[in-house]
Amino acid sequence: MTGVAEYVHRESPIHALHPITKLIWSLSVVTMSFMFTDLMGQALLFLSVLLVAGLGRVLRETLPAFKALFLMAGLFTVFRVFFIQEGQTLLTLLPGTGLGRITDVGLRSSIELSCRMVVMAASFPVLLATTAVKDLVVTLVEKLRVPYIYAFMFVTSLRFIPTFLREMDQIAMAQRSRGYTGEGRNPFRKVVALAPLAVPLLISSVRKAQRMAISMETRGFASGTRSQLHRTRFAGRDSSFLLIVGVMFVAVIFIKTKGI
Amino acid sequence: MIEMQNLWYAYPSGQTVLAGLNISIKRGEFVALIGQNGAGKTTFLKQLNGLLKPTSGVVKIAGMDTSRVKTAKLAQKVGFLFQNPDHQIFLPSVRQEIAFGPKNLGLPDEEVEARILQAAEAVGLTAVLDENPVFLSKGQRQRVAFASLLSMRPEILVLDEPTTGQDYRESIEIMEMVRELNEAGHTIIFVTHDMELVARYARRIILLRQGRVVVDGPVREVFYRPELLTATGLLPPQIVRLALMFGENSPLGRVLSVEEAYEAIVGWGGVAHDRCG
Repeated sequence: MTGVAEYVHRESPIHALHPITKLIWSLSVVTMSFMFTDLMGQALLFLSVLLVAGLGRVLRETLPAFKALFLMAGLFTVFRVFFIQEGQTLLTLLPGTGLGRITDVGLRSSIELSCRMVVMAASFPVLLATTAVKDLVVTLVEKLRVPYIYAFMFVTSLRFIPTFLREMDQIAMAQRSRGYTGEGRNPFRKVVALAPLAVPLLISSVRKAQRMAISMETRGFASGTRSQLHRTRFAGRDSSFLLIVGVMFVAVIFIKTKGI
Repeated sequence: MIEMQNLWYAYPSGQTVLAGLNISIKRGEFVALIGQNGAGKTTFLKQLNGLLKPTSGVVKIAGMDTSRVKTAKLAQKVGFLFQNPDHQIFLPSVRQEIAFGPKNLGLPDEEVEARILQAAEAVGLTAVLDENPVFLSKGQRQRVAFASLLSMRPEILVLDEPTTGQDYRESIEIMEMVRELNEAGHTIIFVTHDMELVARYARRIILLRQGRVVVDGPVREVFYRPELLTATGLLPPQIVRLALMFGENSPLGRVLSVEEAYEAIVGWGGVAHDRCG
């Protein structure tokens, strides 16, 4: 079972890049998507993200994430379009009442905003698919001086998600064996019906956390300064990649200021 | 009571766990399901109350096809004790925890109350009925889980390693309870790695290996074919291994327990003594 935005272990030029390089790329894409206002620019930027995903050979794995993004953006457009009432009316859902009026300004700005949303978020699935979270955290600690304990907490919480899912499965099975159906007509009863699943999960998670804390302490966690076994290093390909990103960035600024 | 016809089961990932099982278990049997980890034992058990549905083939419980009937419905016939009691305990008192099953069955309050008392007594929890199960010992929590099944009065009891995490005395106590239930007419199917327990309580062994039945037969017959067990990394109980060293024709014969061995030796001594005299 591979979830959306999970690390895909593979040999590729993008995987070989330093995690910081990829992080910078990701943040640059977000920044550039803010600078563009027109659809053409956003589309080009999105294509560049797809290109990186292709180079990283994770296009197929990141596709579900992109699909989900487009779906969300679509819904967002539909909701937002009715709230902007300036400009000329293109269409009214309920003719004669003025309700559900779609204007040219509204439509345009909604679509633009949705596109920006997609482009902004698009680089993250690619980043996560080509970079192991562990490596990302190690570099955060090593290069960006994030305190190790925070980085550790972050990794641990991610690492526990599949464990909890498995636990939840077992709990659901145990309760079904006792005639539990999880049915409830009204919303209040539905919440009550969750208790047989939620309470054991909570109790077992607390127990698990306590056991983990003890086992970490007995192995000397946080008892002194840390050193790293593997050090990450910037290489020539990182410089070339960053150079390309830099050139793109400058080009975007140039185009914006000159107003071409 | 339980009919499996050409049962195949594969996980959604495509990995085959159960490969063509044909098993029939009658009312009142006491079956031990053994095999190495990963042999498919737990998956087998989960087929018995519809938690997992066959990929192909049929599983029938008391005439009900498990792929057509919901687990909640099958729960009236099949009680399932999981390895970890903490997967099910969620109510603030032992009493409520035991009542959860019968209430799901829609029984009237007086009936539920009567069943709570009976189930609690059967597992020796009467004294702690109003305590919070979270603060009980692991062994006691296992009993709470057990009582919560008994209160549903299922005809079939499915026990997945009921004695793990229990000390020797607790294990024997739990198995004695199971024996009493079996004598009262319940069908028992349990998984264990403890061959001494199998020898002492079960009457039939189903040995699984990589999702297939290696051997299915009376305990005495299976344990005296050690080549089948060693092929799956299991050893018969110590007393059986001792008897095997002396061979089939020794006075020990095919004993299953120390008590039987004692009887055999004493009986043999008696005969020898008579002969001398």
